[in-house]
Amino acid sequence: MGNRFGDFYGGVLHPLTALEHVLPFLALGLLAGQQGAPAARWLLLTFPLGLLLGTAFASVAPAAYWLTPLNHVSFVVLGLLLATAWRMPLALLIALGLLFGLSHGYENGRAMTAEAVLHLFAPGVALSGFIVTALASAATLALTARADWPRVAVRIAGSWIAAIGIMMIGLA
Amino acid sequence: MSTTRRWLRTRLGGGRGGMIWLIAAATVLAPEVGLAHTGEGVVGGFLSGFTHPIFGFDHVVAMIAVGLWGAFLGQPAIWLLPVVFPVVMAFGGLAGVLGVPIPGVEAGIALSAVALGAMVALALRPPLWVAAILVGTFAIFHGHAHGTELPEAASPLAYGVGFVIATGLLHLSGIALGLLSRWPAGLGAVRVGGALIACVGLFFLIGA
Repeated sequence: MGNRFGDFYGGVLHPLTALEHVLPFLALGLLAGQQGAPAARWLLLTFPLGLLLGTAFASVAPAAYWLTPLNHVSFVVLGLLLATAWRMPLALLIALGLLFGLSHGYENGRAMTAEAVLHLFAPGVALSGFIVTALASAATLALTARADWPRVAVRIAGSWIAAIGIMMIGLA
Repeated sequence: MSTTRRWLRTRLGGGRGGMIWLIAAATVLAPEVGLAHTGEGVVGGFLSGFTHPIFGFDHVVAMIAVGLWGAFLGQPAIWLLPVVFPVVMAFGGLAGVLGVPIPGVEAGIALSAVALGAMVALALRPPLWVAAILVGTFAIFHGHAHGTELPEAASPLAYGVGFVIATGLLHLSGIALGLLSRWPAGLGAVRVGGALIACVGLFFLIGA
C-alpha cells in the first residue's frame, strides 16, 4: 500500500508539516466559520478545488514564481479580514478560497519529486486543506453559536496571524 | 443553533475517528523523505521567539498593562486593544526585520510600562481612539525589539509565531487580572498593580 498510494499520503502530510501552510489554512477555516454556515459550505468545496488545481498547475508550469508571494499575502489578508470581522459577500469568500488554494497548492506541488505521481499527490493536498478548514470552520460555528467570547477569540487570532504575515513579507 | 449542531454531527461526528486514522496512516506510509518538510529549526525558532518577550521583564509588565488597561476600560477596549496591538507591533517588527533603526527602542519600551501602568493606577479613561493610538505607538517599539532578532532565528516563521503568541498570552493574562476591577476591592488591587508596573517601567527607564 505504501508503494501504490504512498504519494497520496505524502500529499496529505506535506501541507500539514509546515506552519506556512497550516496557519493560513486555519485562518481560512476560521474566516469561513465567522461568515456563517452557508458561506462555510461553499468554501469547503472551493478551497480544496483551488488546491487541486494549484498542485496540478505546478507540474505544468514549475517556474510560476509570482504565485509564491501570495502565500505570505494570504496570512495578512485573511488575518485582517478575521480581525475586522467584516461580513463579506459570498463571492469574495469563494474567490479568496480559490485564489489562496491555487497559491498554496502550487507551493506544495513544486515540492513533488520527479517520481511522485500527481494524480495521487494532488488529491492528498486538497484533502488536507479540506480537513483543516472543515475542522476550524465547524469549531468556530459551534463555539460562536453558544457564547460571545469565541467571536472575540477569532478576531484576536486573526490579528496574530496578520502580524506574523506582515513580518514574513518583510523577510521575503 | 440546532441546525449547526445537526450539521456538525452528520458531517463530522462520524468522521473524526477516520480522520485520525488517515493522518496516522499518512505519517507511516508517506514514502518519500524528499516530499516532506524537514521542519528544521521550528522548535528552536519557536522557543527563542516565545521566550523573547517573556525574558524581558519590561516587556512582560508593559504587555500585562495593555490587558489590564483594556479590561479596566471595559467594552470595547477590552478586546480592541489586544486586536490592534499585534498588527501595529508587526510594523515595528517589520522595521526590525528590514534593519531600519528606530531610536530609543529600550527607552520607548520602558516608557510604555510607565505610561500604561500610570493610566491604570490613576484610573484614567481617555476616549477609545486616544487609548488605541497610545497603545499602538508603544507597540512599534516592542515589535522592533523582537523583530531585529527574527532574521537570525533558526526558523524565522516559527520565531514570529512564538513572539506573537507570547505577547498575546501576556495580554490575556493582563485582561484576566483586570477583570478583578469589577469588584470594589479588586479595583483597588488592579490600580496598585498599575502603580507597580509604572515603578518597574521607571526602573528600566533610568537604566536605559
